[in-house]
Amino acid sequence: MITEELKKADHIPAEICDIVRDSVINTFASICGDTPQYEDVSEEEKGPLNGIIGNIAVFNPDLTFTLMIAIPKETAFKISEAFIGMKLPFASDDMGDLIGEIANILAGDVAANIEKVGFRGQSSLPTATRGSDLTLFMPNKPPTEKMKFSSSCGDFLLNMAMSQSR
Amino acid sequence: MSKIKALVVDDSKIMRSQVKRALDQLMIAEFEYEEAMDGEDALSKFNDDIDILFVDWNMPKMTGVEFARAIRDKGYADIPIIMVTAEKSMGKVDKALNEGGANEYITKPFTADKMAKAISSYFDDNGNIATGNGDEGEKKSFFSSILNS
Repeated sequence: MITEELKKADHIPAEICDIVRDSVINTFASICGDTPQYEDVSEEEKGPLNGIIGNIAVFNPDLTFTLMIAIPKETAFKISEAFIGMKLPFASDDMGDLIGEIANILAGDVAANIEKVGFRGQSSLPTATRGSDLTLFMPNKPPTEKMKFSSSCGDFLLNMAMSQSR
Repeated sequence: MSKIKALVVDDSKIMRSQVKRALDQLMIAEFEYEEAMDGEDALSKFNDDIDILFVDWNMPKMTGVEFARAIRDKGYADIPIIMVTAEKSMGKVDKALNEGGANEYITKPFTADKMAKAISSYFDDNGNIATGNGDEGEKKSFFSSILNS
């Protein structure tokens, strides 16, 4: 798939969604130790996000895939125990650092795998946002996709948007 | 056993801790650590006492590959540079090896075993940096064998 085709798309192609879904599963399997299950997103879960959001983009000069991993509080605790062997305080800088780094690892996997279908991009630096009732708001309403996963570390969500690079 | 001075370069404090923890678990050498938050910070902290470098790729100000290249360009041809990064594509690996002059490439997340596989050849039985590892061709072929495994 080439970037020109993606630029014309009014939705995120299933091929890209599958790659991102598999990257999420691979990334969290290597962290949590078991394979996360992909689940349907309920109507309630389609609303605002709560917890810590790891934000990162995989982009080239034409297109940007924005990835936001929403980690609820209890899941964040379990991920910190799995990843670094201790429970980090939810409101700490270290917890933000950890979730940002997980977003970074995910983006590395996504970038490597979407390159195989013709999209050559690079990862941005990650950021993390902590809060409740967080709503993804992007200008021009780009195509988005929301995914839910369950794992031994708990449930978490991924929001993805595909937009033209500026 | 003399202490090995490792410079760990990553903008994530959590990941710097993970690298140090994995190295301490290996028990192949006794390490002491210097830490840097990005390539520029690492360049300012680099000195002749540093024995080995563990370098992230994606960092602000100066990337890990740019930092690695800068170290090689300063004439440090033999110091082992171990990339520890989330970047997984073959193009990135190739760039780290050929443009950056890195010796090894470890993808995140990593285990102590993965770290051991990548770096054990750089140490002798006494926990010192092994001599004779400066042959770039030899390193690249070892590197390639990992990539192809």
